[in-house]
Amino acid sequence: MQNKSERYIPLIVTVGQVVIFPYYIVWLKEVSFSYTLFAWLFATFSFAAAWGYRFFQSRGEKPRSLIASVYVAMGVVYIVVGYWKLPIEYLPYVALMTQIILGFLQGYFRAWHTKQRSYHVHAINHYLIVGVIMIGLSFMKVVSPSIFLTVFGTILCMCGMWEVVRGFDFKMMK
Amino acid sequence: MKGITKFMKKPWFLGILVFAMAILVIWNIPIEKRKYGFSQSGLATDYTGLLPERIEKVVNVHNRNELQRIVQEANKKGKHISIAGLQHSQGGHTYYKDGIVLDMRGFNRIVEINKQAKIVRVESGASWEDVQEAVTPYGLALQVTQSQSIFTIGGSLSVNAHGRDIRFGPMAETVREMTVLTPTGEIKQLTRDDTEEWTTYILGGYGLFGVILDVTLNLTENEVYTIHTKKIETEKYESYLHRVLENQNIAMHYARISVAPGTFLDEMYVIDYNKTKKQDKTTSLKEEEGVRVSKFALDLGRKGGKLEDLFWEAQRLYINSIDGKTITRNNAMRSESTFMEFTTPGRVEVLQEFFIPVDSYEEYMQSLKDLLPHNDQDEDFKVHNITVRYAAKDNMTSLPYAKEDMLGLVILVQHGLKEKEIAHAKTMIQKWTDVTLQYGGTYYLPYYPYQTKEQFKESYPNWKSFKKQKAERDPNEVFVNLFYDHYMK
Ligand SMILES: Cc1cc2nc3c(=O)[nH]c(=O)nc-3n(C[C@H](O)[C@H](O)[C@H](O)COP(=O)(O)OP(=O)(O)OC[C@H]3O[C@@H](n4cnc5c(N)ncnc54)[C@H](O)[C@@H]3O)c2cc1C
Repeated sequence: MQNKSERYIPLIVTVGQVVIFPYYIVWLKEVSFSYTLFAWLFATFSFAAAWGYRFFQSRGEKPRSLIASVYVAMGVVYIVVGYWKLPIEYLPYVALMTQIILGFLQGYFRAWHTKQRSYHVHAINHYLIVGVIMIGLSFMKVVSPSIFLTVFGTILCMCGMWEVVRGFDFKMMK
Repeated sequence: MKGITKFMKKPWFLGILVFAMAILVIWNIPIEKRKYGFSQSGLATDYTGLLPERIEKVVNVHNRNELQRIVQEANKKGKHISIAGLQHSQGGHTYYKDGIVLDMRGFNRIVEINKQAKIVRVESGASWEDVQEAVTPYGLALQVTQSQSIFTIGGSLSVNAHGRDIRFGPMAETVREMTVLTPTGEIKQLTRDDTEEWTTYILGGYGLFGVILDVTLNLTENEVYTIHTKKIETEKYESYLHRVLENQNIAMHYARISVAPGTFLDEMYVIDYNKTKKQDKTTSLKEEEGVRVSKFALDLGRKGGKLEDLFWEAQRLYINSIDGKTITRNNAMRSESTFMEFTTPGRVEVLQEFFIPVDSYEEYMQSLKDLLPHNDQDEDFKVHNITVRYAAKDNMTSLPYAKEDMLGLVILVQHGLKEKEIAHAKTMIQKWTDVTLQYGGTYYLPYYPYQTKEQFKESYPNWKSFKKQKAERDPNEVFVNLFYDHYMK
């Protein structure tokens, strides 16, 4: 049981993040007004990812630590971006927050993921799956980026729930 | 090196880095966040975004032959054309339902500068800023322009704009020559003694009589001025202004009236620019400064009540701080504008301008005190700036707002976007217009048309001949816009 979530969920998360990336970029470009700001928002994301990565490492690499909450938090961010119709006035500030949170969580997740047994298999599979999904999506008429973002956010939240339930079962079994 | 690497690995260091980056990003989030103009998918708007309309297409204008072909074709096929500069007019002056829009911004070459004759020839899509950049190195400056340089030459001439200069008359008078494209697709070279009176209808013609292609403008020296500021009581302003007008040593002037509850319409700041007779060739054009701080202060003031009193006091500090400073003419004609951006969702800030004969000012202000709430903190309709300008009598254009020497009161009004709120704003502005008309005044036409057709006719009694000339010169109504529909149809 434990293996199943270790086998599939991180793969769903990595694949999903790459697949959703173009939609997220469209949203970010819309709210960032200038290329400079757009680039700086990415720089913030990168720094936050480094921070998240290091934060995981500094916690002594507990194998399952916090990962369920990481999934849920990422999911919530995507849902916020995709679902809520925020007034233009606040969007750049919201984008900054999402970049920091997503960056941190992604760094944390990546650091955790590299410690998993399935990491190297995932690395190859993820490239292949992303390729296939992207080809598939290219034939779909984009309904609205927000729908994809919300759906992915919901999937992440479900993954988080799943982890919680599994973790609970696991403890009970012990 | 090792030390640095070790340091960079610390989670708290990376946290600080993220925090610093976030501050940097916040600081660089632009103040202007609204979208207006032709970027709206399929719908066009102008500065306020209040009149969205579907248009057929936007043509980016780059050369006159292409323009001529478009106009001739429109004439044949019964199509409608509107002309757009930088779209700071606010009543749909630059577009029309299902019409073609000529986006003039790319038609912006500075064709010639003649230092000896003090003239510049420029294509009409250039902004005043473009002209300032070109003429400043020659020690030259514009004779008349708005206090900001963010407008196009064509747009400003088509509304016969005015600013801080009190000596050179209306903007139209600074035009020496002009090339225009008429509604039938003819290119005409016009001089000041134009017998067919095209200038009368093109200047101040709101883009309804043809396209201004290029203009030759009279320039003056880029003189250095000393700024003189003072706080005075409103009732003393009329005599103060007369002294300013008599004093040939003063080149520019404007004033600001308090709309703060504590001093509502009682106090004013006056700002004069005194000549020094020194011409400037070295000072560069100033860039926008302190935008965030100014916007923050203005946004506080916009809330009304005590905060507006505070804002008025803050202005006093600012006004005192510039007293005695020097400034070049060109820099006095390019004030900051970004800080004025109003970005509160669900609300809009619009401009209106009322003109009244100089000698009626005091009585007019008394009447305004009866009309407007002194403290608008809890009101939807908020007035939070009134600037006063001098507009000299205009004999050149066909819809003159200055039938005699006038004072223009430029007001910034804020109101909500719900139907009820817009209706209330309309009522307030119509009442304000009525009071203005009682004193022999007028109102400015480039702004959102809250006024009724009757108020328009009373303000612009020449509208009949304007309409008649329009029918004669543009029988197929090639050039139209929402403004034309609102008032002339
Ligand atoms: C913040 C702000 C401050 C302002 N301050 C002042 C001020 O100090 N003094 C003042 O007088 N006004 C002022 N205005 C009004 C403004 O000056 C006018 O609206 C001016 O027309 C703006 O120029 P524009 O390039 O944006 O013109 P647009 O709004 O694009 O066009 C204005 C009119 O000119 C016509 N037009 C444009 N280009 C041409 C062309 N090449 N040939 C023929 N017709 C053309 C258009 O069809 C339209 O009817 C202000 C407006 C704003 C928003």
